[in-house]
Amino acid sequence: MTVVLPTSAPPAAEPALHELARAPRRRGRVLRVPRWLRALSGPALLIALWWLASATGVLNPQLFPPPAAVAATAARLAADGELQTHVGASVWRVLQGTAYGVLGGGAVAVLAGLSRVGADVIDSTMQVAKAVPNFALTPLLIMWMGIDEGPKVLLIALGVGIAIYINTYSAIRGVDAQLVEAATTLGVGRAAMVLHVILPGALPGFLVGLRLALSSAWLSLIFAETINTTEGIGFLMARAQTLLQFDLSVLVLLLYAVIGLLSYALVRFLERRLLGWRRGFEGA
Amino acid sequence: MSTAAIDVRGVRRRFGSRAVLDGLDLTVAPDEFVAMLGHSGSGKSTLLRALAGLDPDVEGSLRIRPRRSVVFQQPRLLPWKRVLANVTFGLGGPRPRERALAALAEVGLTGHARAWPVTLSGGEAQRVALARALVREPDVLLLDEPFGALDALTRLRMHVLLRDLCARHRPAVLFVTHDVDEALLLADRVVVLRDGRISLDRTVELPAPRRRTDTAFAALRTALLRELGVPEEIVEVTA
Repeated sequence: MTVVLPTSAPPAAEPALHELARAPRRRGRVLRVPRWLRALSGPALLIALWWLASATGVLNPQLFPPPAAVAATAARLAADGELQTHVGASVWRVLQGTAYGVLGGGAVAVLAGLSRVGADVIDSTMQVAKAVPNFALTPLLIMWMGIDEGPKVLLIALGVGIAIYINTYSAIRGVDAQLVEAATTLGVGRAAMVLHVILPGALPGFLVGLRLALSSAWLSLIFAETINTTEGIGFLMARAQTLLQFDLSVLVLLLYAVIGLLSYALVRFLERRLLGWRRGFEGA
Repeated sequence: MSTAAIDVRGVRRRFGSRAVLDGLDLTVAPDEFVAMLGHSGSGKSTLLRALAGLDPDVEGSLRIRPRRSVVFQQPRLLPWKRVLANVTFGLGGPRPRERALAALAEVGLTGHARAWPVTLSGGEAQRVALARALVREPDVLLLDEPFGALDALTRLRMHVLLRDLCARHRPAVLFVTHDVDEALLLADRVVVLRDGRISLDRTVELPAPRRRTDTAFAALRTALLRELGVPEEIVEVTA
């Protein structure tokens, strides 16, 4: 069999050059709107859709009340101070639980992070603790501590503490060994090493932990407030369920959403303040 | 009674079954500038780390004056401290701030005292590392390929800066590098590390200012490249 090869390849068309530089894009109005306002446009759009769906009758007002009805309920509850009481009680629980959790989880993470023995004893224990859903502890906590604030705050603190521990511990272990060596050659003592090298190096990881911890705190709160409560967002939710108040149910959902957004904003604020060095931010 | 700044006798360091340093001897006099050449993996950095007190598993006798500073290949500045705070970090003695500012002035970075390390170029960051080392007024300066990560043009400027700084402060210097020209431009003495010990120890007697184009410079470079095991045809090209 003979194969006939073309004696010369057909002349290939030379590829055209592709222009990469374009006329500068007009940095128009979109960028002049402050960033937080743009971030709010998504939720605003959802509310607009909700309003539209209610107005056109797509949503049954009996089962899913329109924005106006929910706003009216919120205004009524705010006027007689009930809204503030319940939100305040929930926020206070979360703040306490978060404070204890951050302190406890942080302290344990530092202990485990700084010593090998500490790590051997503590880390496996904490990994086990992480595997147990802390809501499963609710009945035990009630039996041990009664039905007051104690078990509620503790339930929140446990979730927060574990989230803080996991992230802070791995952040401490991940601190650049080269920096530790350099500090050693500078004759830095143990305390200064921890304070100026290891903890600042672990801070980004800690803040990731804090972000997760806050979501966990509000999640725990929902469970915590199923324990005999007369105050709190969870109590409002239970009441709405019992009395079939759909407007109140939706309001509670919105409250959780707003609070979640605020928690996120708080962590973002902390990150910007504490991690300015990462982008050479000149600080305030 | 020895007057050396560094006195190393029979130093051995094993990684597994491999002895990277194998009975090494080296003495560096006070205010002597010694360049140490060797292939990557020849144990240069291992010796330097041991002298910096970073290697607890080294055997033999390593004696060094206690006031020593180290500059690594990477600047290793703490990214969360501004430049000035990096220089004063761990610095004892009176008026640390003023002394740190003076050190920054010496490396030409007074204007960057309040900058974050992440905003510095590679050369600037390495100059901060030099200032951080010198502000401690060390008797011994240990340099582990300090210009290895810099571009060629920046490296030329750093050579001049380092020479001036050493002329002013007169520390004993152990300068680890794999760049023969760099060693010959800067050092009073060049040693080659091979098979875990010093295989060549040569005083550099070149007229100042040293020029790469001098015949004596070229001859010394050829000798060193041969000692480093560079194939003859490559040695000829660089000569």
